[in-house]
Amino acid sequence: MDLLTAIVLLPLAGFVVNGLLGARLGRGFVSVVGCGLPILAFAAAVRCFLVLTAAGGAPLLTTAYTWGTVGGHAFGISFWFDRLSAVMALIVTGVGSLIHVYSTGYMKDDPGYARYFAYLNLFLFFMLMLVLGRSLLVCFVGWEGVGLASYLLIGFWFEDPDKARAGKKAFITNRVGDAGFLLGMFLLYHALGTLEFDGVQAAFAGGAPAMLSADLVGILLFIGATGKSAQIPLHVWLPDAMAGPTPVSALIHAATMVTAGVYLVARLNGIYAHAPVASELIAVVGVATALFAATIAVTQTDIKKVLAWSTISQLGYMFLALGVGAYGVAVFHLYTHAFFKACLFLGAGSVIHALSGEQDIRRMGGLARRIPLTFVTFAVATAAIAGIPPLAGFFSKDEILWFAFASERGGSPLLWAVGAATALLTAFYMFRLLWLTFLSPSRMDEKTAHHVHESPATMTGVLVVLAALSAVGGFVAVPHFLSPLLPAATAAARLEEYETPLLVVSVAIAVAGLLAAALLYAQGPARADRLAARVPRLHRLLSSRYYVDELYERVITRPIQWLSDAVFLRVGDRWAIDGTLHGLAALARGAAGQLSRVQGGGVQRYVLLAALGVLISVVWVWRHV
Amino acid sequence: MDRTQFLIGLSIALFSLGLAGVIVRRNALVMLMCMELMVNAVVLSLVTVAARGQDAAGAAYVFLIFVVAAAEIAIAIPIVLLLARQRRSLDVGAYTALGG
Amino acid sequence: MSEAAFLYLFSAAAVAGALVMLVARHPMRVALGLIGTMLSLAGLYAVLGVHVIAVFQVLIYVGAVMVFMVFVIMLLDTRDPSFVARYSRLLLPGALAAAVLAALLGALLARRGPGVPWVPGAADFHLQPFSVAFLGRYWLHFELTSVLLVIVVVASIAVIKGRGGRDG
Repeated sequence: MDLLTAIVLLPLAGFVVNGLLGARLGRGFVSVVGCGLPILAFAAAVRCFLVLTAAGGAPLLTTAYTWGTVGGHAFGISFWFDRLSAVMALIVTGVGSLIHVYSTGYMKDDPGYARYFAYLNLFLFFMLMLVLGRSLLVCFVGWEGVGLASYLLIGFWFEDPDKARAGKKAFITNRVGDAGFLLGMFLLYHALGTLEFDGVQAAFAGGAPAMLSADLVGILLFIGATGKSAQIPLHVWLPDAMAGPTPVSALIHAATMVTAGVYLVARLNGIYAHAPVASELIAVVGVATALFAATIAVTQTDIKKVLAWSTISQLGYMFLALGVGAYGVAVFHLYTHAFFKACLFLGAGSVIHALSGEQDIRRMGGLARRIPLTFVTFAVATAAIAGIPPLAGFFSKDEILWFAFASERGGSPLLWAVGAATALLTAFYMFRLLWLTFLSPSRMDEKTAHHVHESPATMTGVLVVLAALSAVGGFVAVPHFLSPLLPAATAAARLEEYETPLLVVSVAIAVAGLLAAALLYAQGPARADRLAARVPRLHRLLSSRYYVDELYERVITRPIQWLSDAVFLRVGDRWAIDGTLHGLAALARGAAGQLSRVQGGGVQRYVLLAALGVLISVVWVWRHV
Repeated sequence: MDRTQFLIGLSIALFSLGLAGVIVRRNALVMLMCMELMVNAVVLSLVTVAARGQDAAGAAYVFLIFVVAAAEIAIAIPIVLLLARQRRSLDVGAYTALGG
Repeated sequence: MSEAAFLYLFSAAAVAGALVMLVARHPMRVALGLIGTMLSLAGLYAVLGVHVIAVFQVLIYVGAVMVFMVFVIMLLDTRDPSFVARYSRLLLPGALAAAVLAALLGALLARRGPGVPWVPGAADFHLQPFSVAFLGRYWLHFELTSVLLVIVVVASIAVIKGRGGRDG
């Protein structure tokens, strides 16, 4: 078994071992297996990366297993390691291993320790299958699998019905998106006869093939992406997914699973290069989601929910970049986002741990001196996401905004303007979070304040590593590395002169957000609350998340429940099916009742019947013998 | 019509009358007697055909039938007696225990 | 020929006896009707030349079976509902079934043409050949009948005794 397959199978082994034996073999064993195997997978990924670069970028290919042959076409489970997969695999295994290590500290006292690590390893297995798969089919298996792992982990504390419901919501919303994905796959296979990525890219190399509408396929696959990556209209599951343990939120709902949609579009850039309508749709949905989510994040009061809406917003940025043809830049933002968002989530976890479970930022404050390491790492990550140079977020976000303005494939000032407004809001709400949690005077109650303590080294060590990556990660030229595979977007020549001014504007926006937040929240939420009181309806609209959940409840959930109850249950099940069965039974009973009248008990009747029998036999004999 | 046909025809007539008697009469003893009539009709047809042959087997056969008929009556009468005692009536309509 | 006359006479008597069986109300009269039929049949056997059988008919059937029947009729109280209402509910269907059967079989009979002409007295149905054959060739059947009669005796005692031999 070669190295490439090993990357995928090592976490699977972890799942099996921890799942079957973990509960019996104790915490130490589970930790070693649960963290060690992903670290080994990371090492294998690094080795493959070195082989790849030594070979000048020629992809590695392995066919692990031939699934089946249908109609002359063989479907195999093959893994493919090219530049894009390399970046994704390194992020998944690297950040993943760090989060596994963090979990050993965070989940220390949880009774489901072994189960947690088993699920987390299962997730890694499926995610690696997703990013390393050679064909859309393998990718889809991984796609579904991470949905499953997400469901298991969101509802990890399933005894609480709200948390279990959150898990269900995530899974079902994803499935809605998957319908689009499947339809797109069917169309592709029907037109091209292959689902393998290299085959699809080759087919689209010289323009869209006949018989296939690239736009339609593009839109269908994007629907799948909206489900997985929480874009409008399928974004509703991500804030609820915060019911899961914080490391899960960091790994799945910040760094890796939600980026699967971005990966998919980037991988199929051949299709989108010839699908202008689909690309425009992606860009518009992306930037609209970004703004939408940012406006909501401003009013959220749960520390994890702020970060969740922030994730949705940043994913919107990635789709904006994909929509205007800057595929490499989108992946670059994915890469930097993984670092600072994971750092932010894990830092939030550290805060929650320090405050013994408190998650409401209105009851925090004054933590900067009490938990300094958490504070510093959190601050670095916040600055990164706000786009303050020279941290990682600045480079990737600025590239996106530049291409949104200037790309020849759909860039426009409008897109830039919305993106810039979102950037302003991002800086604002992130620094709001920082101030309210750490820098404003304490609003904690006595008991919590007394117990505040810094997290153990397993947790803070990871925070430091991630903060460092958030700081310097931007200097790695990811788009350049990816450019042989993902052709770089071209900026319109006449707009070149705007590049530097726009750069300055980006920095100014970040700083403005910082200052606004500092001004408003330096002394706590009081000043902001007074401001909110002046626009009560707007505030209510935003804090209720634009009532989208209520809308879905009324328009989708209630009709379906009515349909299930009134039509399927009452009519279909009780009347039709049960009625048929009861009817058949009643028919049999009635017939039996009638037929039993033959045996009335009178002997003479029996003799008569016997005589009739004899008559019939005589007639028969006469006719036939 | 020759003798054989005539006698077989008589046998058919007696048999049918016996069958009708079993079905239409209400008294249990009368039913029994009608059954005896049926047996006799059959014996008549047997003798009619056997009398034309050379073999003594026919006579033996008839004799055996007589013996069996006697044995049958010897059993049937006690059964009817018991039944009549239990139901306190010879009316076949009262014997309904064989219902299904 | 006088044979033909006797044939017709005895046949008519047999049918008359059967009809009496069907219409008489008192079981004793029915028994007498049956005895009449049996005697007529004995006469028919005699006409056919099988005197042995005729004698056996009278001895066994009339002399044993019907006497037994008469005794039973005497012992039982026959004035019960079946005396008043002679016929069961199945009068019409029964009569119909019997008539159809008779018609059917009669039609079958009429179809086949006359067979081998009958010669009276050709059969070896005299007493001596009969006894020789019966106790010679058919000795097993003879023994079996005795076994059968023993079984019948035992069975009738068992039936009458019943469960403790008490009244129902």
